[in-house]
Amino acid sequence: MVATADRATVPVTVLTGYLGAGKTTLLNRILTHEHGKKVAVIVNEFGNVGIDHKLVVDTDEEIYEMHNGCICCNVRGDLIRVVGKLMKRRDKFDHLFIETTGLADPAPVIQTFFMDDEVRAKAQLDAVVTVVDARHIQQHWDADEVVEQIAFADVILLNKTDLVTAAELDDLEQRVRGMNALAKIYHTENAQVEMDALLNVKAFDVNNALQINPELLNGVTAKHDKTVGSITLMESGALDAAKLNAWFENLMAEKGPDIFRMKGILNIAGQDDRLVFQGVHMMFEGRKDRPWKADEPRKSELVFIGRNLGQMGLVESFRDCLAG
Amino acid sequence: MLLSFTANAMPKTTLQDSFRLLRQSALSDYVTAIAWSLDGAWFVGSSAAGEVVQCAIKTGETTVLLGDQGESVDTLAISADGQFLAAGGQAGTVWVWRLDKGSAALIEALEHSRVWIDCLQWNPQRPELASGCGRDVKVWDAADQSVTTTLNFNKSSVLDLAWHPSGDRLSVSGNQMIKTWQRRDWNEAPTELATGGVTDAIAWSPDGNYFAAGSNDRSVLVWEGGSPYPWQMQDFPGKLRQLAWSMPTKTWGAPLLASMGSQNVVVWAQDDDPIPELLGAHQGTVSAIAFQPQTSLLASAAEDGCLCLWHNGVRLVQTLKHPSTEFSCLAWSPSGEAIAAGGSQGELFVWTKTTPGKGFG
Repeated sequence: MVATADRATVPVTVLTGYLGAGKTTLLNRILTHEHGKKVAVIVNEFGNVGIDHKLVVDTDEEIYEMHNGCICCNVRGDLIRVVGKLMKRRDKFDHLFIETTGLADPAPVIQTFFMDDEVRAKAQLDAVVTVVDARHIQQHWDADEVVEQIAFADVILLNKTDLVTAAELDDLEQRVRGMNALAKIYHTENAQVEMDALLNVKAFDVNNALQINPELLNGVTAKHDKTVGSITLMESGALDAAKLNAWFENLMAEKGPDIFRMKGILNIAGQDDRLVFQGVHMMFEGRKDRPWKADEPRKSELVFIGRNLGQMGLVESFRDCLAG
Repeated sequence: MLLSFTANAMPKTTLQDSFRLLRQSALSDYVTAIAWSLDGAWFVGSSAAGEVVQCAIKTGETTVLLGDQGESVDTLAISADGQFLAAGGQAGTVWVWRLDKGSAALIEALEHSRVWIDCLQWNPQRPELASGCGRDVKVWDAADQSVTTTLNFNKSSVLDLAWHPSGDRLSVSGNQMIKTWQRRDWNEAPTELATGGVTDAIAWSPDGNYFAAGSNDRSVLVWEGGSPYPWQMQDFPGKLRQLAWSMPTKTWGAPLLASMGSQNVVVWAQDDDPIPELLGAHQGTVSAIAFQPQTSLLASAAEDGCLCLWHNGVRLVQTLKHPSTEFSCLAWSPSGEAIAAGGSQGELFVWTKTTPGKGFG
């Protein structure tokens, strides 16, 4: 369980994408846009960022496994060390960007910002942005990193659209959508995108309303990718809080490593407020949101992104949590 | 083990010595570390801008040993004989100055690429410096000014190191593990202690009888008298970032262990009631703790602008307040007559002991 306190924190954007997808082009675009703001950039491959007047810190990825009964909980030791120091600086930063290597697993980066109290007190994840090379990704679907970077993303840029046909792009979007029902998808050339799409997304703010494409509701899974996909669950009946807790506890313990991201709004029996939650692997945070409006249909909506979700029987086991 | 809360002790008027501000100066960015000369005549402060500056107590005169070179200097140490000053930081360089009658001459700059020097410590018995360089520890001997040995911690980056007070062994901590090498033969395989977490802080008690480790899983382990079975304390308020031992107290003969995590300081002793006590006076992240040399008066500095002094590690006797400052580090002078502290805007403060009726400084 993690809790977020209300505090002044620096927003953090994580840029991921396979080798050559266009991360550095995007980063330079963002930094040009952020001109005049105090920005720090953490990179794992030095020499590829030519940025003036910005603080660039180069780190070597170092993964710490957390042995707290949570087998999938890894954090990035290098980020803990550098973020702690950066955030103590006299000139407070407006924004922190982390550019991962093309082969990085995004989960430890995300988990660092939840698990480490020192980092959490100073910085808050805004969004994971993944750049996809619309053409060359076809050669890289076998790489776990490619699939995970898409599955963990809040914003996905299908980049280099000038190198593919409209039909190819449409196919790609469907495939990506099947893997990640939560992310916002943009088509770009040269990583050109409105900055509003990338900055201040607040994707990890649990109060930020869940937005699911209505046509994806209820159990759409990936067409191409048998292993990684999304499942959306919707129930209009109220849920039994105790049953729901037990369900989540069991799910996290049994399937945590295979669940990448989850978000939801829940309708709990006997409660006037909406319950909102989000999670990454076994880390989970939930809180009361606003009361249900009188004219608003009370219903629960959940989205899971992960591996082998189809075999978890989520639709049925979630239905068992209904009250009465 | 759950932590017991002590009531927020209000400052009390005491007949004890109290400390008052002597002077204040400034560096260009937050102060990362402070180290005192043996005679307490001056101290050095380092900053996130990369400065190392020497400050004379009586005159307030400052001497720049290292300018604002952009890469943070994070750790400072003065050798036990007072002859050498070492510094290290994000540039990956370990600098050593020879000290002579208060003036410093740079004699060594050991460069390492792609590592940060987060910790370095002099052997308490001889001018021999251990510094954490990535996954290695380099031991450098001031006598012949060369690297004696390179110890490979291997498991992760080196996060902390601690010489035994006798100087005959060196303990190194990192992810999941502490390794201890014997100085008599650096090539001998180190003994290993599992910690079950990322161990950011280790410390030997001044009497050499206790060894403590604090980790990010909010636990503290304490080994006594070389026993392989540690005391285990869990559920601390935050990940453990620093540990400090006092001298053995007069009352029960065991030293006090202070630990720091999140907004709290927790003090423990192996006394009749070995329950850790949580000192809840700070309203911001605690940034440094240190016992006054030779006593059990604990100083804690925090981002709330308060530097608190705790008698026997638990009773608040004085709060030095600078509300506009976020304290980032502190250090006692070797005699315990003065405290220096640094702030997030580069402020450097020195307080000296005053006894009622007597002026000082």
